Amino acid sequence: MKFTRSKAQDEIPTSSMADIAFLLIIYFMVTTTFAATRGLDFALPKEEDTPPVIEKEESVLIEIRPGGAIVVDNKPMQLNEILDYLKPKLERNPMKPVIIRPEPTAAYGDMVNVFDELRQGEEKIGIQVKNISVPTQREIERFWY
Amino acid sequence: MRLKARLTQEQGIPTASMADIAFLLIIFFMVTITFEVDKTQVVLPKTEIRFEVPKKAAYISITEAGHIRVSSGEEISVPVPGPEDVLSFAAGVVATDPSKAFVLKADATVPYRYVDRVIDALKQSKAEVIYLLSQQETIENQLPEG
Repeated sequence: MKFTRSKAQDEIPTSSMADIAFLLIIYFMVTTTFAATRGLDFALPKEEDTPPVIEKEESVLIEIRPGGAIVVDNKPMQLNEILDYLKPKLERNPMKPVIIRPEPTAAYGDMVNVFDELRQGEEKIGIQVKNISVPTQREIERFWY
Repeated sequence: MRLKARLTQEQGIPTASMADIAFLLIIFFMVTITFEVDKTQVVLPKTEIRFEVPKKAAYISITEAGHIRVSSGEEISVPVPGPEDVLSFAAGVVATDPSKAFVLKADATVPYRYVDRVIDALKQSKAEVIYLLSQQETIENQLPEG
């Protein structure tokens, strides 16, 4: 008489692995948020007790009014005209200070638009606007008047 | 005569590689996932120049109504009563890590005075670098309306 021993096959059960994997995928898909992680860098000058040298006459003053109106050195201007206006001044003095001064009720987005435009000086007019400053209201009150 | 049994092919979808694909997807999500420390809903300004914000940067968000939330980059953001509280927050962060970057996530329509006071607080706290979080400016955005 012949006996046959039934052999249990040696293998790792992987049938549920795909289910587990897909559950993990669903978890990551639900929890992932593609966050905005880019922006304009805005280097801050160090806070000093001695007043910084801000000479209004020698610098270019860009005022941003509520509603988005831009006034450069007391002349109303469009956003795309600013760099053309600055070009001859920067050719004479590449370190020409450019001061952005938004009014308290102006929209923050309008300030960013002007700052972004100035940062594109190299691409648009071939000269980098190196000396951009955005003084705060406290600094203006403390050092300008 | 004995007929040969017909060879029947088993019907089935091959699923052997499904786990591999699934694990590849898991690895992708695990690598790309960034847990957002600040989920404040704001309409960001659009800029053409954009740099990658450092990981673990501290966040300060300002909503359209001027509400401020702060996060040191390690935990979920918390609301603060006003811009003057940003100074104590930022000073604490800078004391721990002087080279810490700050990310300003402000709504494009918020009046500038709110942003001004936050930037002033950052200056006073000796923060060196801040990023103004923005969306990508596209050609469509630049076209005049109408």
